[in-house]
Amino acid sequence: MISPAALVKRTAPVLACIGLLAIWQVASLGLKSDSFPTATDAVRAIPDILGDKESLINILASLRRMAVGFGIAVLLSIPLGLLMGRSRAVSAFFNPLLMVIYPVPKAALMPIIMLWLGVGDITKTLVIFLGVSLPVIYHSFEGAKAVEEKMLWSGAAMGLSPLQCLVRIVLPAALPEILTGCRTGLVLALITMITSEMIARQSGAGNILFNALDMGQYDTVYAMIIIVGAMGICLDAVFERVRTRLVRWSEPQFDMPLSFS
Amino acid sequence: MPSSEWVRPLTSQKPASAILEIDRVSQVFQTSARKEHLALSEISLTIEEGAFVSILGPSGCGKSTLLYIVGGFVSPTRGAAKMKGQAITGPGPDRGPVFQEFALFPWKTVLGNVMYGPRQRGVRATEAEAQSRALIEMVGLKGYENFYPKELSGGMKQRVALARTLAYHPQVLLMDEPFGALDAHTRTRLQNDLLNIWERDRKTVLFVTHSVDEAVFLSDKVVMMSNSPGRIREVIAIDLPRPRRRNELLLDPRYQKYVVDIERMFDESEEAGAPL
Ligand SMILES: Nc1ncnc2c1ncn2[C@@H]1O[C@H](COP(=O)(O)OP(=O)(O)OP(=O)(O)O)[C@@H](O)[C@H]1O
Ligand SMILES: [Mg+2]
Repeated sequence: MISPAALVKRTAPVLACIGLLAIWQVASLGLKSDSFPTATDAVRAIPDILGDKESLINILASLRRMAVGFGIAVLLSIPLGLLMGRSRAVSAFFNPLLMVIYPVPKAALMPIIMLWLGVGDITKTLVIFLGVSLPVIYHSFEGAKAVEEKMLWSGAAMGLSPLQCLVRIVLPAALPEILTGCRTGLVLALITMITSEMIARQSGAGNILFNALDMGQYDTVYAMIIIVGAMGICLDAVFERVRTRLVRWSEPQFDMPLSFS
Repeated sequence: MPSSEWVRPLTSQKPASAILEIDRVSQVFQTSARKEHLALSEISLTIEEGAFVSILGPSGCGKSTLLYIVGGFVSPTRGAAKMKGQAITGPGPDRGPVFQEFALFPWKTVLGNVMYGPRQRGVRATEAEAQSRALIEMVGLKGYENFYPKELSGGMKQRVALARTLAYHPQVLLMDEPFGALDAHTRTRLQNDLLNIWERDRKTVLFVTHSVDEAVFLSDKVVMMSNSPGRIREVIAIDLPRPRRRNELLLDPRYQKYVVDIERMFDESEEAGAPL
């Protein structure tokens, strides 16, 4: 049985999207500008893009780079962040380094990286990797730092080695915080993916978008924005599903049994 | 060794040997760049195998710190603690702590928490689960096996913490005000349960408490500490028969005298402990 509140909660995102498209439609009909196609024109262009083999290859290449960059970043950043949170020596070494890198827009590093590694996959994947790494490191670090010392002592008393404590106590205890970092990282991966393809135009979703812009195919431009946006929303929704499942034990709104009868 | 015998065999075995030796232990904390705080000063104490020893003293006199040193979680600034003649250099499964703050693993259910130690010690999953379920039932939490710590009350968490430590069979239990946060009724119940467990297993227990009644009711020996710096003021042997029944003991003039005497001492050491 679905309660009215749950129904609203479920349909709210869909209603919001429809509302946005409706406003767009009205505005574009009012403005009648070449560079602002109507929502229906943009939506109609979507099947053309997704039906085109070359476009599809481009988009899949983007997604592949994003997955590789995000995956490697997460795999390296979580252990580093956890180590930094538990070891003063490790954090003393890496903190200054990360403090310098943190405020630099990763896309600004692209020209240098392109100079060294060319305009291919490696460069773009590396930029995505850099974009994802910092929030994941930061949140893993904060999560590990906050782990209650007595919890580690309890583990040590059971015979866990320091490494086992890190993997079997610090990691799960910090998981909610780590996943918050990963979620930010995922959005950043999408952003750096498009940005990198904008700078090093050779393949990818960003490439289609900016080529269409150059050629004045505004329907395609807007359709691509919708596609990229939809990709972001879907990835985030899937991630959020996985996240809530993994950290159900820490969510305060987890349904408490009110009676034990 | 579990024994159905209520009374401790006094003559049939060799005299109880020391399991823990604390030898002139001092602990200094660096409170700021140039200030030092002497939390424990020259503590010496010997604890016999199978004894129930309470540490009683005003807040901040270093009771927890002493327990952490025996646990191997903190190494003393001076002096040494020994377990069965071996210097304590770190934590180990022979000494099981029950912390003031519970420190349960929040991502594990009640059952998962209790099973954690035995699994780590290499006990097979089915066996560990059976043992853990029995322990959970013993501490009165049957039916809560699949609850997460955040779904439990303070007293329930405390009982899970006790069961989790008992589950890996440490030789020495290090309990830091385990019943401090409980209501009077639950507290009494758990004191009785703890005594029952102890009378069955004869584990050595080092038990930190604020409560004079509790210390006298449970212990063979009460170690009175005083404040600033933390020192042992007196060690009082509690010569009351076992098994102890609360309703009998409360009427026993010997029990009452212990409580009154120790309470007086407690007040004095609290006054003496005013910061300089
Ligand atoms: N990590 C630390 N750094 C600095 N000072 C500390 C530290 N741990 C404890 N102390 C100090 O050492 C003294 C003893 O602390 P401890 O926690 O052992 O007291 P306690 O007897 O257990 O108190 P309570 O009964 O309130 O739990 C206190 O004055 C405390 O301020
Ligand atoms: Mg304490």
